[in-house]
Amino acid sequence: MAAPSSSSQTINQRRWRKFKGMRRGYYSMIILLTAYIISFFLPLLVNNKALLISYEGEWYSPAGRDFLGSLPLVSAIAPSSFDPAEQYGETGNKGEANYRELQAKWEEQGSENYIVMPLYPFSPNEDVGVAGNESFVEPFADDSNGSMRLFGTDDNGRDVLARMAYGFQVSMSFAILISILEYLIGIPIGAMMGYFGGKFDLLMQRFMEIWTALPFLFLIIIIVSFVNPTFALLVLLLVLFSWMGIAAQMRAQFYRERLRDYVAAAISIGVPTRSIILKHILPNTLVPIITFFPFALVGGISALVSLDYLGFGLPPPTPSWGQMINVGLSNITRYWLVVVPFSAMFITLTLVVFIGEGIREAFDPKVFSRLR
Amino acid sequence: MLQYIIRRLLLAIPTFLGATFVVFFIVQFAPGGPYDQQMNALRKGQGAEGGGSALGTESMAIPPSQLEALQRYYQVNEPIWKRYLMWLGLFPRPVNDYLAEVGEERNVGGGYKVVARKDAATGLYKVYALDDPSTPLEDWFVDPSQKPNSVWLYQREVAGIFTFDFGDSFRYRKPVTELISERLPVSMQFGLMSFVITYVVCFYLGTQKALRHGTKFDVVSSSIIFIAFSVPGWALGGVLLVILGGGSGIDLFPTGGFQSSDYDNLTAVEQILDRAWYFVLPTVAYTLGGFASITLLMKNSLMETLGQDFIRTAYAKGLREDRVIWLHAMRNSIIPLVASIGGVIGIFLAGGYLVETAFNIDGIGRLSFEAIGTRDTNVAFAFAVISITINLVGSIISDFMLALVDPRIRFS
Repeated sequence: MAAPSSSSQTINQRRWRKFKGMRRGYYSMIILLTAYIISFFLPLLVNNKALLISYEGEWYSPAGRDFLGSLPLVSAIAPSSFDPAEQYGETGNKGEANYRELQAKWEEQGSENYIVMPLYPFSPNEDVGVAGNESFVEPFADDSNGSMRLFGTDDNGRDVLARMAYGFQVSMSFAILISILEYLIGIPIGAMMGYFGGKFDLLMQRFMEIWTALPFLFLIIIIVSFVNPTFALLVLLLVLFSWMGIAAQMRAQFYRERLRDYVAAAISIGVPTRSIILKHILPNTLVPIITFFPFALVGGISALVSLDYLGFGLPPPTPSWGQMINVGLSNITRYWLVVVPFSAMFITLTLVVFIGEGIREAFDPKVFSRLR
Repeated sequence: MLQYIIRRLLLAIPTFLGATFVVFFIVQFAPGGPYDQQMNALRKGQGAEGGGSALGTESMAIPPSQLEALQRYYQVNEPIWKRYLMWLGLFPRPVNDYLAEVGEERNVGGGYKVVARKDAATGLYKVYALDDPSTPLEDWFVDPSQKPNSVWLYQREVAGIFTFDFGDSFRYRKPVTELISERLPVSMQFGLMSFVITYVVCFYLGTQKALRHGTKFDVVSSSIIFIAFSVPGWALGGVLLVILGGGSGIDLFPTGGFQSSDYDNLTAVEQILDRAWYFVLPTVAYTLGGFASITLLMKNSLMETLGQDFIRTAYAKGLREDRVIWLHAMRNSIIPLVASIGGVIGIFLAGGYLVETAFNIDGIGRLSFEAIGTRDTNVAFAFAVISITINLVGSIISDFMLALVDPRIRFS
């Protein structure tokens, strides 16, 4: 490939520069990445547990412990974030401390104890069972405790903003995980089919044809209706039914590439098959599937929202956009119950699509010439 | 050509069998199906008869003959491949199953009475008509029973999806085919409408985008259709329902359903308007996602054609631009669009249950979705079979159309 006029740039550097030059895609990526990274810190930002408590000279941070518990891997050894109310002077109350009430109480008493609450002091799963929470508080209105609810509350008195924010974290993580696993399965299978051909290819093609003909969302619903759905199971099921696209794409690429001269040259000088596939062919076949990645994300998010909407997704009370839309559509006079989760999904998907457009333009520019 | 089509059809058969077997296996595997439900019902019924004691209702045994009848009806003791073949209609299944005491006459419906006796010579049981005790009946078969001195008498019938017999709905107590044909027209109307709208819009939009490539119109419309593609149609439909359906916002459209309750009393013109009024929002939800791929297909195809030499030649001959585009370029560009028709048919059905659930439309999508919840297995099977068939037929149609419109494609 002809080198660019200025300095020596690898093709990937040039692609990256081109991508950065496309403002819309680039900024979309910055916004989405930032939001996703921030979403890992949600327990410190949107939580009904105190960020910091000073009680009789001792320091506590239930929200901090919550944060540790929410991290993958660390969660197994993280301490519990549950503090009974009696720990903070509410004698005899073994239930979880209500930090918002404690804060108000201590302020009123003018005591030396104090509490720093997270930025938005409501949790996604606290419902009417917690004092002060009401169902169907309107957006920007106060609940009976006088706390402002930015996006209102749902039918169980759960905070819509908190659920939406945590729903973002769940949706994105779910979609990213699915897309990566899809690639991890689809790429090797497709590569082997294309490179080796023959009986293996033929058999796998028949198998993929059967697998593609299945109404997969319908089957997932059936399976989920009798197996208790967990995050991991849903990921597994969706991956199981959606790796074929990538595999077919890779197969076609490998099928074409293996006939090229450089592969013949590699074979003739005795390069092992493994490195021919991994080092020589694979890098040449990645462009279409890289440009497809954002759209795989879109597929993952949509699938989760659809399953959650139908009630066959993540187990309640996991905050999820699909479940929120479901509640909204059964309470259509409360517009915010549908509009908030839908807007969150809409904005997220739009950002992903813009990123996808940018990547496609940078990696796989289509040049059309029009003759007249 | 004919040979190609035949081969293509033959290849679809193993795919169909494979896919239906996967579905059959999964659904059969699901607990809580009609068999389990009937067992539970029997257990509860026994509890109530047994003096209403709350204790022991669960452990109350089902009479062995009833249990056996149920097991035989649902063939739970048969291996899965045999049940699959029966369900397909390739293997005869037992019907008219009666428990009879050996040597006693048994009424087998319609006042017809038979009797089962042991054949002295072979030691096998045979069934005889009451009025003719000499020759055994050929169409009756005998299975042993756990009940002493009793046997099961039954006839055999080949009935399955290949004979268009999907069995009865457990919930509605009528044949699944009847249930589906009641609701199919509703789903079909939305499907057809969406199909036509999608192609008309995509053809126009794709052409315009190709002719105005790189302009603001092209860039903006690309973004819009991509976003529309990524947002699930039913979810947007839901938002529109809340905002425009009178929930909270403007009361412009009905809040779901298929037609007004007084539809039958309206005049013909009013009926059409009524339908249209109910159709707007669901159709938006149906069509939205399909725009992107087909529009881009049209655009890219036309752009590629416009870059080819024969177009240059046409211009060089001095032909008018309209003529070059619509007559010379279009005929070659429309090929991929035509080929995509088969695939699109399936899309409208596949996503149907989401839109139908969101809009309360009584179509087959919603029917089958509810069937999963109530474990109405036969209905769920039927929907899966229809989906698979449409997928396969769709891809065959695509290939066929492609061969038909593109003279360059020759299959050998």
